[in-house]
Amino acid sequence: MLTDRLRGIVGGAVPRVAPELRPDVAGTEVPPPRTDDAASTAVPAIGTEGEALQAAVRAARPSRGLSVADLGRAASVLGGTVVTSSTGATIVVERHYAAASLHGRVRIGEVTQTLAEGREALALLNGGSARDAARDGLWFLDLETTGLAGGAGTQAFLVGCAHLSDEGVQVRQFLMPGYEHERALLLEVAAWAAARGTLVTFNGKSFDVPLIETRYLLHRVPFPLDGVPHTDMLHPARRLWRARGAADGALDGSCSLGTLERLLAGVHRVGDVPGFEIPGRYFQFVRDGQAAPLEAVLEHNRIDLVSLALVMARALQLIARGPGATRDPYECLGLARLYERGGRADEAESAYVAAVDQLMRIGRDPETCGDALRRLAHCRRRAGRLREAAAAWQRLAELPRCPAAYRLEAREALAIFHEHRVRDIHAAHRQAQQLLREAGTGRKRDEAEHRLRRIERKLEARVAGTPLWEEPAER
Amino acid sequence: MAAHSSSQVPALRTQERKEVALQGALQVLAPGETVDRPDTPDEVVTAVRRIPPTPAAFAPFPDGLDPRLTAALAARGATQLYTHQAEAFAHVAAGRNIVVTTPTASGKTLCYNLPVLDRVLKDSSARALYLFPTKALAQDQMAELHELVTQISEAGGAQVGVHTYDGDTPQDARRTIRTRAHVVMSNPDMLHAGILPHHPKWAKLFENLRFIVIDELHAYRGVFGSHLANVLRRLQRVCRHYGSDPQFICSSATIANPAELAERLTERPFALVEKSGAPRGEKFFVFVNPPVVNRELGIRRSYLNESRRVAGEFLRRHLQIILFAQSRLATEILTTYLKDDFEDVPGMPEKIRGYRGGYLPLRRREIEKGLREGQVRGVVSTNALELGIDIGALDVSIMAGYPGTIAATWQRAGRAGRRAARSAAVMVASSAPIDQFVVRHPAYFFDATPEHALVNPDNLNILVNHVKCAAFELPFTAVEQYGRVDVQEVLAVLQEAGLVHRSGGDIDDEASGQWHWTSESYPADAVSLRSISSDNFVVVDQTGEPKVIAETDFTSALSMLHPKAIYIIEGRLFQVEKLDFEGRKAYVRSVDCDYYTTAIDYTKVTILDCFARDEAAIAHHGEVHVVSRVVGFKKIKFHTNENVGSGDLDLPEQQMHTTAYWLEVPVSMLEALPFAVDDRRDGVRGLAFAMKNVAQLLLMCDQRDLGLSVNAGDEETAITDAPRIFLYDAYPGGIGFSAPLFGMHAELLTRTRLLIAECECEHGCPTCVGPVGETGPLAKTVALRLLQHLLPLALGGAQPDRLEAVEGARLDAMNMERQDALSTERRDALSLERQDALSTERRDFSPGVTATPAAEDEVPF
Repeated sequence: MLTDRLRGIVGGAVPRVAPELRPDVAGTEVPPPRTDDAASTAVPAIGTEGEALQAAVRAARPSRGLSVADLGRAASVLGGTVVTSSTGATIVVERHYAAASLHGRVRIGEVTQTLAEGREALALLNGGSARDAARDGLWFLDLETTGLAGGAGTQAFLVGCAHLSDEGVQVRQFLMPGYEHERALLLEVAAWAAARGTLVTFNGKSFDVPLIETRYLLHRVPFPLDGVPHTDMLHPARRLWRARGAADGALDGSCSLGTLERLLAGVHRVGDVPGFEIPGRYFQFVRDGQAAPLEAVLEHNRIDLVSLALVMARALQLIARGPGATRDPYECLGLARLYERGGRADEAESAYVAAVDQLMRIGRDPETCGDALRRLAHCRRRAGRLREAAAAWQRLAELPRCPAAYRLEAREALAIFHEHRVRDIHAAHRQAQQLLREAGTGRKRDEAEHRLRRIERKLEARVAGTPLWEEPAER
Repeated sequence: MAAHSSSQVPALRTQERKEVALQGALQVLAPGETVDRPDTPDEVVTAVRRIPPTPAAFAPFPDGLDPRLTAALAARGATQLYTHQAEAFAHVAAGRNIVVTTPTASGKTLCYNLPVLDRVLKDSSARALYLFPTKALAQDQMAELHELVTQISEAGGAQVGVHTYDGDTPQDARRTIRTRAHVVMSNPDMLHAGILPHHPKWAKLFENLRFIVIDELHAYRGVFGSHLANVLRRLQRVCRHYGSDPQFICSSATIANPAELAERLTERPFALVEKSGAPRGEKFFVFVNPPVVNRELGIRRSYLNESRRVAGEFLRRHLQIILFAQSRLATEILTTYLKDDFEDVPGMPEKIRGYRGGYLPLRRREIEKGLREGQVRGVVSTNALELGIDIGALDVSIMAGYPGTIAATWQRAGRAGRRAARSAAVMVASSAPIDQFVVRHPAYFFDATPEHALVNPDNLNILVNHVKCAAFELPFTAVEQYGRVDVQEVLAVLQEAGLVHRSGGDIDDEASGQWHWTSESYPADAVSLRSISSDNFVVVDQTGEPKVIAETDFTSALSMLHPKAIYIIEGRLFQVEKLDFEGRKAYVRSVDCDYYTTAIDYTKVTILDCFARDEAAIAHHGEVHVVSRVVGFKKIKFHTNENVGSGDLDLPEQQMHTTAYWLEVPVSMLEALPFAVDDRRDGVRGLAFAMKNVAQLLLMCDQRDLGLSVNAGDEETAITDAPRIFLYDAYPGGIGFSAPLFGMHAELLTRTRLLIAECECEHGCPTCVGPVGETGPLAKTVALRLLQHLLPLALGGAQPDRLEAVEGARLDAMNMERQDALSTERRDALSLERQDALSTERRDFSPGVTATPAAEDEVPF
């Protein structure tokens, strides 16, 4: 009675991947395909009835975790080993990607070599100081989780780690063979991660690290990543490669590892498991103990880790070799921004110059070109080279099809430059007139009018022969 | 405790002027002596009661109180406590959970701030969590506590971190609050969806949680309360995980069962602190019943107009008033009226403001400030201002319509009155049955105990949702208990649906293993504590630049924002041009017109399962499926309330499963009545109308808690199936009203008969079977005849104490014979008359004829 009412209330909440199972009918007969509600019911495809039935039978007996034999079987299916401790078991899978092997069209050895050499450039990726850079080498982390929502009910069932070894990449994955083994997994990961150097992730600052920190907090196990230097590649990667993607469509506007590896190394995954399917595969494994469907998840995670190393290597390579190594103006612009954020102004400027030259040559993308010119001008002004900054502003103001906001900014900067810096009141007047013509409505227009009036007063004063007075220079 | 000491003399003069003004207004309303006049149910003013002033009762500061706290209080002019504050402190010091029910403005907040601050000062790791029903209240209380805390730190005492944590808290401040705040002020919704699911981040708070403070406890009844009880179950589960065992300190308005409610909500024993030591000024409480203008139809002068008149008497004398209306629509109408009467030129500061849920926060803060500072002389509000938002103490509180419960009436009356000054409260009755009952029996209100607040924490729909959330937060063990249902069975069903998985332990050991959450979803997102759906609609004004001017909850959106509806906000009229149902937006444009609209809805109920029926097979209790839809609307002219047109609508329907009590009228009984088919049908409808109102009174519930639907076949056709009157819980799964109703079936019918038979009208009116125009000319007669047959069945074997009622029914039957003789011509004449007469008063008894909830609460997200 209660159960029936509960079923009525809970009903509809059928998981996406697992077939609908009814323990009370399972084992006695194959559930007849329901025609009325085909959309929400997973009807077994022809030829898989036997399998579905077996799954149903297995689910009918609530299996509570895997036996030692089950664990061993699962580990061998996944090509790993079982590590047991007093707190539970962890399935550990090791893979070595040798220096000579290829990731797409890139040799692994090339990746590891760049990573080993590019330590000082690392600070740039962090947007921070060199102090944190590359303490005792790099290691990579990528989690597979039971959901994206976060919170106490979202677990990391697979912790994928990688480090550089023997000029290759050594991947070590920790798989939680059941919820009751979480503590064991966390301790195992903590032991491995202790004193490993700089952590590298992709979106780890907002996802992976807080998520796994929650797990440690929940189990009251000290968090091994506290104070560990951390480079999140998502933001540098966006800076370098998203603009190009947006322009030629190669990245579909997104900047996932999957698109980056395709773009940077021509990696094409075959039989990859789509991200949304991953939690469901794990839930099914927890229910029936069949590890085979998880193999694709582990492979997915391994490719992600290797691609993460590749993406980082490519970024370090660009930083080390400079604008000449970039393959297109967008990359070049991104590189310039990385230099700038990292405080390397000279390199930033030359990269901006290179980006602007290339963009002007192509002439297809005034928006990006305008952005580059603007940044170049700011860069030069900060360095105190006002005339060169003005030259960049001038080019920006004259750029064909320049976005209005950029043009206004340029005019305004030029007006200030002429009025206050070089005191060429006539040039300032011309710029201010232009500015007013282009200013549209609103606050910008009021400012422009104000500026023009002030310049005109100065002009009149000059005509009237009144001596010029010193004015407080604008910023 | 805080007194404005500056400019004593002018203050005194203002005081005197106000006393005179108040006396003058009361004189006009109720000429003659105004002190404890005997009740006069037949007059316009049916009651004037004087509530005498009470002097203060003080107690010294408790011995153990931290000296820094004593010093800070002394710096604010407080050298001792009121007795209830000292009593509360003693209980808490002894480790007891308490609930404090002293009146508004009695210094209730110190009852919890004192023990909390004392503990935090003595142990800086101690933490407290405050829950307020709305964000605005939390902000208000934050300001007050912050002042005290600043005083302590400036005097060289310790730093005490006090922070609000709600949907408005900036992301970057959250981390600091999680670890540093000693006192976190939040609301149940945030606790449910933002704190508990992330409890590991709050480990520091939960490990050291010493107090959970729940303010305005009485707000947590019905659906909201049942949800809160489950949120508190989850909270205590998480506390157990972190090894803490916090004490509860609650405050509540006066209800019949504060301790019981607290115990139901928290599942802990409570001590009650109810005797206030705070002083209170003299107050006059006046009941006004608008005069009858048409005795035959039982029509009274519009209670809205009467409220407008009463409010005018006080406003004219420069007294500051709050006028409580029963619905959002009534609020807007009254605002328009008072603006017409008291505001001169547009563009001048607004003296009259409206206030209700759906106004944007900035506008609300502005109105609250205007009230405190006195520029706003009158505010017309829904129950949104019933809770303790700081609007200062006003001179007069007027209620347009009985607020529905004794507790809410006192709460609203408490919005007027300072500690030392005289104040008044006026209740203007509408013609709704409950209003008429209360206004004609003032003793019922003044002498009876207030209502019980009911919650049903074990409502399966609610409980199951929270079990999901709880499983997400921490795995359930195989022996864990939760609520009064078998949670292991709940978990087993959740496992069937793939939402949880039991793992670990020995397979042969029933008590081993744990249930883990195995779904990608974040279950708290799917549960809204306040309503059926967490969705809302925004109102976009596209008169000029498109901008959002208001929002409304999903349930009332269809009846307020249907296409062509007139949407009113602070007296300004807008017409809905387009309702984007998918996008949850309504596009409106400012219009100038002299009518407003009310939606017409249609509800259909089908029986799914009958749990129980009485011996005579009349009364039933079971599960039903309810489909409701807004099918059209009427245009009603302002001031005259004429019906000036209507329109059809094609809007999506809303569905739910819930529990219901229903009454089945046997076909044979109907056929035995000497009336035409449609008259019989009218009789059933009239009976239903009266039953719903009596049921509300019996259950002491809010009118929106109970739905009514009559299934009596189509017009003009013979009645072949037994007509059914459904009274259902207006919440999916039921909230516990229909079962007691089934138990009180005989009492329900007895009281219904009394209500109808005692009514002064001839052929039915809004006070008994509904207005003649809606229920038909013979509804009253037929309804009484039906009851004559139904009552003996309901009473079963006539028991001695019930005989009287049956006798009464017989007497009435004799009375009815006379009425039956009404000629056909007379009936026709009547039905013509009703055409114009009806639309007037009918509007009055429930301006929200539709599903528009009369009451509303601010939703903190």
